[in-house]
Amino acid sequence: MALQVYTASLLKEGLVAYLSLEDGSPSWTADIRQATAGHGELLDSLKAAAEKSAQDNLVVAPYAIDVLETDAGWMASTKREQIRAEGPTIRLPQDKSRESRRAA
Amino acid sequence: MYQYSEQDHQLLLERVEQFRGQVQRRLSGQLSEDEFKHQRLRNGLYLQLHAYMLRVAIPYGLLSSDQMRTLAHIARKYDKGYGHFSTRQNIQYNWPKLEDVPDILDDLASVEMHAIQTSGNCIRNTTSDPLAGVSRDELEDPRPYCELIRQWSTFHPEFNFLPRKFKIAVSGAAHDRAAVAVHDIGLRLIKNAEGETGFEVHVGGGLGRTPMIGKVIRTFLPKQDMLTYLEAILRVYNLLGRRDNLYKARIKILVHETGEEKFRELVEEEWQKIKASGLFLRDEDLTWIKGFFKDPEYETLPDRDAEFENLLLSNADFARWVDKNVELHKQSGYRIVYLSLKTAHQPPGDVTADQMDAIADLSDRYSLGQIRTTHRQNLVLSDVRLQDLPALWGELTALDLATPNYNHVTDIISCPGLDYCALATARSIPISQALTNRFDDYDYVNDLGDISINISGCINACGHHHVANIGILGVNKKGIEVYQLTLGGSAREDASIGKIIGPAFEADQIVDAVSDVLAVYLENREDPEETFLATYRRLGEAPFKERLYG
Amino acid sequence: MDNYIKDRKPDHDEWMPFTGLEEGSSLPSGDIYVPLEEWLQARETLLARNGRLGVAVRNTDNLGILKDDLERLDLVVLEFPKMADGRAFSQARLLRERYGFKGEIRATGDILHDQLFYMQRCGINGFEIREDQDISSSLKAFDEMTITYQPACDEEFPIWRREK
Repeated sequence: MALQVYTASLLKEGLVAYLSLEDGSPSWTADIRQATAGHGELLDSLKAAAEKSAQDNLVVAPYAIDVLETDAGWMASTKREQIRAEGPTIRLPQDKSRESRRAA
Repeated sequence: MYQYSEQDHQLLLERVEQFRGQVQRRLSGQLSEDEFKHQRLRNGLYLQLHAYMLRVAIPYGLLSSDQMRTLAHIARKYDKGYGHFSTRQNIQYNWPKLEDVPDILDDLASVEMHAIQTSGNCIRNTTSDPLAGVSRDELEDPRPYCELIRQWSTFHPEFNFLPRKFKIAVSGAAHDRAAVAVHDIGLRLIKNAEGETGFEVHVGGGLGRTPMIGKVIRTFLPKQDMLTYLEAILRVYNLLGRRDNLYKARIKILVHETGEEKFRELVEEEWQKIKASGLFLRDEDLTWIKGFFKDPEYETLPDRDAEFENLLLSNADFARWVDKNVELHKQSGYRIVYLSLKTAHQPPGDVTADQMDAIADLSDRYSLGQIRTTHRQNLVLSDVRLQDLPALWGELTALDLATPNYNHVTDIISCPGLDYCALATARSIPISQALTNRFDDYDYVNDLGDISINISGCINACGHHHVANIGILGVNKKGIEVYQLTLGGSAREDASIGKIIGPAFEADQIVDAVSDVLAVYLENREDPEETFLATYRRLGEAPFKERLYG
Repeated sequence: MDNYIKDRKPDHDEWMPFTGLEEGSSLPSGDIYVPLEEWLQARETLLARNGRLGVAVRNTDNLGILKDDLERLDLVVLEFPKMADGRAFSQARLLRERYGFKGEIRATGDILHDQLFYMQRCGINGFEIREDQDISSSLKAFDEMTITYQPACDEEFPIWRREK
């Protein structure tokens, strides 16, 4: 049976987040490799925690995605979710003055 | 350009406060996501694949240098240092935070800009000819009419919850550079037999999953009646447009299902009842609005310049740029300059904040402080003196904005695709970059001549692939991104919808496939003057199909 | 307390929806409104009664059918089945501007703060706010915007033709 993790967008920032459940306490991480994956009862607990976070206005529109296990940790199984997890596959335009300001 | 009155300013400030309140109600949980979605979508704020996306309106594609600088400032302060110019002449930011959006709107309001109605099922930003007011083939400047439509449609109380989004384009020239035939309403300024100017009214064009060319429902509409007639069309659509199926909700489906004749009758019947209403445009109203778009005080200049002509003879790069990216101006001694946003190293339509600031400065120094955006995702400096072209070219080259390819094979329209968009089913930017890398040879680009390639990353067709000479549609087939080719589309005055040529290609085959299509054209054209589209229309799809699929 | 706003103030709703016309002899007194089909069927019986009358229309009904009856009606109830369904905005304007209806035009259904400003401009003056909504916050909606560009029920002319 395929393992799944819960993902959503953070309400305030809009950024992609994955649910991690440690000792029953939920937290949202930007790193899919840190997410808690499961099926069956564990997945039910993840679902409940994700929906609670949506009700609490921490995240928007949570849903489950299939993941594969790799040496580096969980990896999304579809192209769309891989791009969501890793960011655009193209080089983003580089604004030099913004970069130098950030470095300063 | 149009100058805001105190009331216009007041409206923007009130709108920012209203939206600030809506954001607060959302963050505190008083509004659910579903409820907030209607509000944020009325203000151009989407939740995309990686983050929120804010779409800012550029009314009919016209920007002042100060507005451009503010767009740069926003890109740096609230985003990742760049913005994306869209096929509807707007700009999109890909990474704003929800809590920052009210502050972004405040900054925009300070330069008479906003995100009002840039999404949602309402009347969107009106688009127009990027050469309005300066081209030689113009009958009348369309921008005053666009501005009247902007005011009429902004927070229109009756038409803010339409069956679906609604897009209007206005063109005033012989050549259609605003794609009026593929808009919900397209208005073309024409002259009737009596020599009066008015509008030819196209209704029900559009792309998406059911592409259609608009129908001319009125061959001549006096200018004074423009707004009453628009109101009649919108009322018929609001009452009768389908709401049971998202994919059948655009006005093109209503026109199609009702029948052109019957639809025309419904509109005319409604219009008769309101044509004398307060929206009737009196001569003084038209004079008032045209006053904002008067010609600048052009210098009296010869249409020749020695330095320009010397460089043209001595520098091949300059000559190529002039040939491809510079166009004649109605005024002697002036030229129109296209800034190409199409290189292999930056996504089509993307501009960094540094580039925006530099473009603003260039427009102040060389082009009366204004910039236009085009629906092919490029920019225009509309009023450059012939004698300034060498200097401007040097500066644009340094900014990587002088690729000589306007309306040529590497001037590719691309939607953001699966790299950014929550609706996309395949990536489009990497395909545009692969094509650009393959074809990036001036002699080849030049030989191919006038041609368009447009790429969409899903069936919603934001990349306008249906109306490209060569259209590419990315779809997801069993988890793999594959690309369908359509040939023979056009978004100009000879508008047509391209035809799917055959089964889709995988990502690593699509560049070869396009290359084959181009080869068939080069082998079969009657002479170098015959464009790709003309050759395709003459020969039909057979030779292309033969080469692609054997 | 009703979640009801009339003429920009919280109010008590005196109207009763009524659909039991098959028993025409036992019509209640007081102010009632009936679905359009029942009005068309039992118009005379209804008019013989004491008390004010209203009609509830669907947002697909063509209101031209009511235009000669409007003088006898004190209420027309419009429906907004979901927020995104804006057909009744046009119906409201037609009632006010084309047919000259002077009574209450009431919005029912999925009615939230954020549509009220537009509804008011289209001539709607009664609002059944969705039950979970805070009415005092909703009341602010009428004054959030003070600038309007286009003519509607509150303005005959667009902004460029008004007295400055």
